[in-house]
Amino acid sequence: MPAAPPEATQDSTPHALLAFLHSQSQTTLTRLYQRPSSCLSMFRLLGPLERQLIMNLLWLDSAVPAQTMSAWVTQEGRKMYDNALVSLSKLHILSSSPVKLALNTTFKSSLRHAIVGGGTSGSFGVPAEPDRKHPPPSIETLDAYALERWETILHYMVSSGSGRFPARPSQGVLLLLQRSGLMTNMHGSALQITSSGFQFLLHTPHAQLWELLLQYLHMAEERQMDLVEVLSFLFMLSTMELGRDYSVEHLSGTQTAMLEDLRDYGIIWQRKASSRRFNPTRLATTLTSSAPPLPTAGNSSGSHQAQGFIVLETNYRLYAYTDNPLQTAVLNLFVTLKSRFPNLVVGAITRESVKKALANGITANQIISYLTTHAHPQMRKNKPLLPVTVQDQIRLWELEKNRMQSREGYLYTEFASQADYEYVLEYAKKLDVVLWENALRRCFFGSVEGHSNIRGFIERRSAGNV
Amino acid sequence: MDKASHLSVILDLSPVQWHLFGQSTNPFPLSLSSFLSQLLAFLNAHTACKDENTLAVFGAFPGKSVLLFSSTTGISEGDLGPADANTYRPFKMLDATIMKSILEELEELSGAQEESPLGLVGALTKALCYINRTSSAASSAPAARSEETNLPDPRILIISVSPDQPSAYIPIMNSIFSAQKLKVTIDVCKLFGSDSVFLQQASHLTGGSYIFLERPDALLQYLTMSFLPPPALRQLLSVPTQDKVDFRAACFCHKNIVDVGFVCSVCLSIFCQPVPVCSTCRTKFPIKTLQRLNASKPPAPTANRAAIPATSLPRSTSIGSGTPRLTPLSNGNGTVHPPSQNGTPR
Repeated sequence: MPAAPPEATQDSTPHALLAFLHSQSQTTLTRLYQRPSSCLSMFRLLGPLERQLIMNLLWLDSAVPAQTMSAWVTQEGRKMYDNALVSLSKLHILSSSPVKLALNTTFKSSLRHAIVGGGTSGSFGVPAEPDRKHPPPSIETLDAYALERWETILHYMVSSGSGRFPARPSQGVLLLLQRSGLMTNMHGSALQITSSGFQFLLHTPHAQLWELLLQYLHMAEERQMDLVEVLSFLFMLSTMELGRDYSVEHLSGTQTAMLEDLRDYGIIWQRKASSRRFNPTRLATTLTSSAPPLPTAGNSSGSHQAQGFIVLETNYRLYAYTDNPLQTAVLNLFVTLKSRFPNLVVGAITRESVKKALANGITANQIISYLTTHAHPQMRKNKPLLPVTVQDQIRLWELEKNRMQSREGYLYTEFASQADYEYVLEYAKKLDVVLWENALRRCFFGSVEGHSNIRGFIERRSAGNV
Repeated sequence: MDKASHLSVILDLSPVQWHLFGQSTNPFPLSLSSFLSQLLAFLNAHTACKDENTLAVFGAFPGKSVLLFSSTTGISEGDLGPADANTYRPFKMLDATIMKSILEELEELSGAQEESPLGLVGALTKALCYINRTSSAASSAPAARSEETNLPDPRILIISVSPDQPSAYIPIMNSIFSAQKLKVTIDVCKLFGSDSVFLQQASHLTGGSYIFLERPDALLQYLTMSFLPPPALRQLLSVPTQDKVDFRAACFCHKNIVDVGFVCSVCLSIFCQPVPVCSTCRTKFPIKTLQRLNASKPPAPTANRAAIPATSLPRSTSIGSGTPRLTPLSNGNGTVHPPSQNGTPR
């Protein structure tokens, strides 16, 4: 089994949303921080060191000299500490003063409210009055709904290339897929999956969800929706309780408009479109947590899928214990499927199948990480988890593809004399633009960037000679 | 390093000690209710840090110990009252459950019970059992993913206000050894009373930190800065540890904390005076040795140390200073220096 990724790599990949938030203005963020639920959710997205720093400062009324705080940092932690401070001040959580450390006052009071309760913001969602006629849906219903919605989207993507078209997601979803570059309509009307779309399919459900939501946020900016309203609604959803009715009465106009989109993604459930209440699904309530599998992993539809279903042998044969068409379709991206049984799919990883996947833009590492995350519990006893031969071979196949490199450039030939040739070549070498040379034939190949210089040089030289 | 962590909190809820603590004659009195409100904020902060963080709270009452809250057991809806739009629901559940169960337990305490010794050992053992159960259940269940097989970074925080009970020496030491085996860190926060020898050893041996609060009114800040970071994070942000640990042990015969003791060479039982027969393993010691030991007994403890034959060795070691500790307990505390923050929690 591959060892857990080293800490450094985990810490160097902060949550995708944070990069988006870094680019927002201070006023936007401060407006966002007015809601305790937003503060709490954002707090959870931060790294562990950043969270601890916030907590250290949360209950202090006055600013702390930066030196006092850094006295707590150990030698090894110095670099991460500095990074954490930079990241926090980019988010305007820390007020940007090099000498004193203090939290943004809005953020501080909201996070305090979130932790001790109280306040009147109602930011954790206003529960609906109990309804005698329509009791809230069971958690199984919600899970099944979220799963169905989410798999519809993924299934649509995965089978778009094959010519079969299963259920189409709604128009809003299609637009989002297209805008995010996951799908494109090259051939007239039908949408085609792109190479980034193939990569998307191999991500974890959590990463997929955020990828789409980020795209949604970008679109919201263009659609003149209030970004703060959109974000705080998402954050509010993430703090809601699964299986509880919430009322739509207290939502702003933007947020009411969002209900329809989120319903399409399977993030919320409504009895009917005009309903005055809504329920968050598991997709929503796990937005800011990471470990528990999303309903897409099959929490509701039998536990065997939740923790992986793939058995891979050293002879490249692959057995997938699944009856899920989506999972079969995803496997079909890089596996030659041989036979199908009611609960089992048998296939083999072959050179052709992997090459096909590589041609689609999927990388060897993505295939390996997909196989690792979905490995059957029986496989987890193996060390390393995946057979080394197969892993290496997949990587080798990828290298095979990279045997040839193409570079754009210009070929310079027919120099009048050897001296001319060498003179120009020397100049080109000084510019570091020579990709290939052949002294016998008096020609060399230079990259595009150097062309104008070389051309100018040759022209000046021939002008001088004449 | 960014993975879920488990925290078990053991609350010392001895009514007598809390009454003494709350008296205004103390330089910094702290009432039980203001303690609980700061504690709940700390517990909420732990849950806030990560959705998957788990929590269990045990109460040590006179004569008994109770599980007050655990994040794995469900709560009945009726206890909570109507849902509230201004509070994060898990926090509300946590606070309400803990307050309710503490009140119930305190109501039940009868006058006679209040005199009985504190159930600290019981609570500590229950906490260890809880950690063992959750971590082994997780690893044996087929549903567990490899990275979730163990309850990551389990730790125990003991918040103590009562003095040591010498009779609890052996069970506490045994709990420490089990904690070491389970790789559980034990943190100790001593709010009131003299330093606790046993708890100092507990945190020292398990790699936790022992803090004697000089300013109990800043409790929440102490808790947040010292006990909130999980062990992985403590490598980056240092937390105070003891520079001196009181390593004295309690004798098996009278349960006294001894400076110089006599150790059975067979079973390592500790006695405060030379005995002809070991009470634990029934080993008989030679008369000659006994006579020599009796002759060289304190008041010359330092000379005694060198003269003792292999039969019995003094257990009095104070690693901090290297000399046997004869001074009273109170001045040998582990000194920690948390930065004096000028803010106080609300």
